[in-house]
Amino acid sequence: MENIVFGIGITAMAGALASVAGAAENVESDIGSQGDPNSQVQLAPQMGYIHRIFNKAIAGEPPAYGAWCAIGAGLAMGFIALQVNPILALILGCAITAFVQGVYATTAYLGRIASLAKFGQPVYIDILKSMTTVTMAHAFVAIFTTVSLCYLMNAALGHPFPLPLLGIVWGIALGAAGSATGNPFYGKERQYQNQKFGAGVPVAASGNIVRYAEAGQRNSLDNGWFSAKLGGPASGVCFGLIVFLELWRTVLFEPVGHGWGAIIVGVLLILVFTIIDRYIEVWARKTYGPYAKPAEVKT
Amino acid sequence: MTVSASVGAGAIPHNTLIGVGLVGSLVGIYLTYLNVITGLQVFSFFGGIGAVLALVWGSNTIKTLCSYGIGTGVPSAGMLSFGSGVIAMLFATRYGVAAPIVGLVLAAIVGAILGYCANQIVNMKIPVMIQSITEMAAIGALTIMGYTAMAAGSFSMIPLMSASHLDAGYWATFIGASFIVVVFILGAMAIQHPFNATLGPSWQQDRMLYLAVECGFLSMIVIAVISFAFLSMNAALVSLVVSLAGWLYFYMEYIRLSKRDAAMWLDAKPIVEPEGH
Repeated sequence: MENIVFGIGITAMAGALASVAGAAENVESDIGSQGDPNSQVQLAPQMGYIHRIFNKAIAGEPPAYGAWCAIGAGLAMGFIALQVNPILALILGCAITAFVQGVYATTAYLGRIASLAKFGQPVYIDILKSMTTVTMAHAFVAIFTTVSLCYLMNAALGHPFPLPLLGIVWGIALGAAGSATGNPFYGKERQYQNQKFGAGVPVAASGNIVRYAEAGQRNSLDNGWFSAKLGGPASGVCFGLIVFLELWRTVLFEPVGHGWGAIIVGVLLILVFTIIDRYIEVWARKTYGPYAKPAEVKT
Repeated sequence: MTVSASVGAGAIPHNTLIGVGLVGSLVGIYLTYLNVITGLQVFSFFGGIGAVLALVWGSNTIKTLCSYGIGTGVPSAGMLSFGSGVIAMLFATRYGVAAPIVGLVLAAIVGAILGYCANQIVNMKIPVMIQSITEMAAIGALTIMGYTAMAAGSFSMIPLMSASHLDAGYWATFIGASFIVVVFILGAMAIQHPFNATLGPSWQQDRMLYLAVECGFLSMIVIAVISFAFLSMNAALVSLVVSLAGWLYFYMEYIRLSKRDAAMWLDAKPIVEPEGH
């Protein structure tokens, strides 16, 4: 019984860490216009829309965060092998990883913008200086919380995978959660506030992203503010639920039927979420869908 | 799958880069064997230098392949390269001194099979596919072997599965603690980033190659920090200093080249609207 209470406590803490990780990851990637919103930021200058948005094309979010969390976990493991206190080891490993992330961010921005010289997109050095540091800070929070929850799984729950392997697995999961949940807020809504709501992105509007802000010209910190309000918390809830439910089913049901209990509960959870998703989709289409009858559309 | 042949050739021919990468990485990895001959560990950083040269070759291969519009992002090519390379590299570590050669040959075979499958079975029909994937698998194996030799001081299986500063047995060794995952992802990011970050209408080969070297040295910094867990303090410090110096030089050079190629280099200036808008 004590074991189960301890396990549930660790599960709750890992879920909380994961929520913070998801929120920080999404804000970081949106400030850098990483993931699918990147295509429009890359396209805009080619369509004649010069902008002051940060274009940090490193990779998709899942490989990028798989990399950062694996590097952070590997460095932490190296420090632990050197008899450094585990908490200090995690902090040191993640700090060095944030430096690596920052270097990748600067080279990606400089490279992409310099290769757009033909269309007259300038390199804005102030954008590089002010955005990179902000993304590094958010990346540190996301990496540190994710590597910490991996450490909890390994050290407290006795997960058989070594720390770097857990790092890459949960890093990819974190990137996928942020990419799938948080990006639509930025890529489908924030970039196209000048288009009719729910209209999608017509070909004629491709690259015509919003470039001017409430006051002055929009930069990626404005997008970070927007993401912190909507996309970030949504990604946090998503990744937090993934980590919490995954550990919850393992801790509680693994002793049932030589491990089959956890697998059956996992399948049941997938079914429950499929039903919830379907219900929400149908409800949203009925409530907001603008495409009910073609005759209603004024041309 | 559309095939848009927009392969712009760079100033340095691809075959020259193959030669530099292949010979350079093999020489670099074999120089770490001086550790065994002399009984010291300070020659480990040569593995990293070998890996950097393989990555330079790899960035140009990715450029050649991805210019055809393979239907996925550039990063996927890097993951494929290292995914096939790591199998060959791990198998080759059994063969002691011959490991780098065995790894190279084996990876090339794995790559050729994957390239054949992509072209004939998945029906992608890209002319450079088989050659590119063969090259990339070989680059993956050589890079992983180079970084591994740099971190653990050896490319043979026995030291990789036994040596460690921690007395925790197998679970604290290079393979047992999964440090190879870090090497895998560091290499995969470093091979895809140079082309992914510099693609566009005003792409320049020299800028991409400098970025490849910069990425390689950046990965070396992380590997050097990890090598403190496996090597003597002096050897790890030598690796760290070499990595930091190399990274700093090539980072500054890359910024210089970006400044050369950029349309304008502005600090805190408003949007410059092009004429006609």
